[in-house]
Amino acid sequence: MVQAVLERPGLADATGTERAPTGPGRAQPLELDWASMIPIDDAPVSGSAGINAPSDVSADETGTETTDARSVAVADVETPSVEAEPVADPRPLFEEQALPFIDQLYGAAMRMTKNPSDAQDLVQETFVKAYAAFGQFQQGTNLKAWLYRILTNTYINQYRKKQREPYQGTIDDLEDWQLGGAESTTATSSRSAEAEAIDRMPDSAVKDALQAIPEDFRLAVYLADVEGFAYQEIADIMKTPIGTVMSRLHRGRRLLRDLLADYARERGIETTRVRSAR
Amino acid sequence: MSDCGCDKAKRDLEEFLRDEVCRTEAADIRTHLEHCESCRSEAALSVTLTEAVQRACKETAPADLRDQVLERLRAIKAGHETESTPAV
Repeated sequence: MVQAVLERPGLADATGTERAPTGPGRAQPLELDWASMIPIDDAPVSGSAGINAPSDVSADETGTETTDARSVAVADVETPSVEAEPVADPRPLFEEQALPFIDQLYGAAMRMTKNPSDAQDLVQETFVKAYAAFGQFQQGTNLKAWLYRILTNTYINQYRKKQREPYQGTIDDLEDWQLGGAESTTATSSRSAEAEAIDRMPDSAVKDALQAIPEDFRLAVYLADVEGFAYQEIADIMKTPIGTVMSRLHRGRRLLRDLLADYARERGIETTRVRSAR
Repeated sequence: MSDCGCDKAKRDLEEFLRDEVCRTEAADIRTHLEHCESCRSEAALSVTLTEAVQRACKETAPADLRDQVLERLRAIKAGHETESTPAV
């Protein structure tokens, strides 16, 4: 059902062009999150261009100052200049510090590439690049987030291009009704029935549902739900404004719920969820 | 501390559960959840979904992947491989 919604002509039109980046989202100042976090109140959940876009010129300026060591490091990943670093070579620490994240990175790579062989290649590339750039990693900052940024960059640059799946660059701009994401008027009792059905859902069904939602949504859900990254960290990893992260996360989870409800219904598991009129 | 009402609680529920709202807002939402069974069930459902995704996505890297990574890193150290692979 959700699939049918996704295949509407509107989506095909919308995916034709790449979404223009809005606002200063690419380089959010890391330390001072209040500016971007508090306005949640006023943020339209569906508005992708979102919270960070206009009005705040100073945020834009600080953003381009590149005071964020991590964004600098990742930006330089493609052309590592480790030799130029005057401080002691930190690379002997790399294996000890980075290798423990291999399972997590592999899990993320599996969700991205959808197959074990590409996932393994992607993880290898990520470690090679991270090792080369490790001189620029600031000890004491979040290594896991740094590795995820390299993983995501590598995936987008090297793998996504190869895949036949069309790039869903403008998925953020779709209205909620196009995604079937309008708030349903579900009763408490059916909500707990739905929760129970989800709780008993086989892992394979959850994975299939994840694979069926648009990639940017899937990644946002993965980074938030599985890895527990904060919105700001996800914004840094995905290079989008926080408003876009929230929108992708909400809509991704909404789609996931609908797909899982479909799955349960097909197998006769009663969720009695009242679906929203579309 | 005051009850923020259903609309706000529902809208900001995800952010509340992820600890992404400020403290006063969180207190208001928490107060509301204490009083509202409907929103509480929505919160429970949200948490259940997160747990299901976590459970389903748990992966262990194949045993030889770790070895392959170590091998490549050591090859780089030994100078057998250029440090950066050209971007495709």
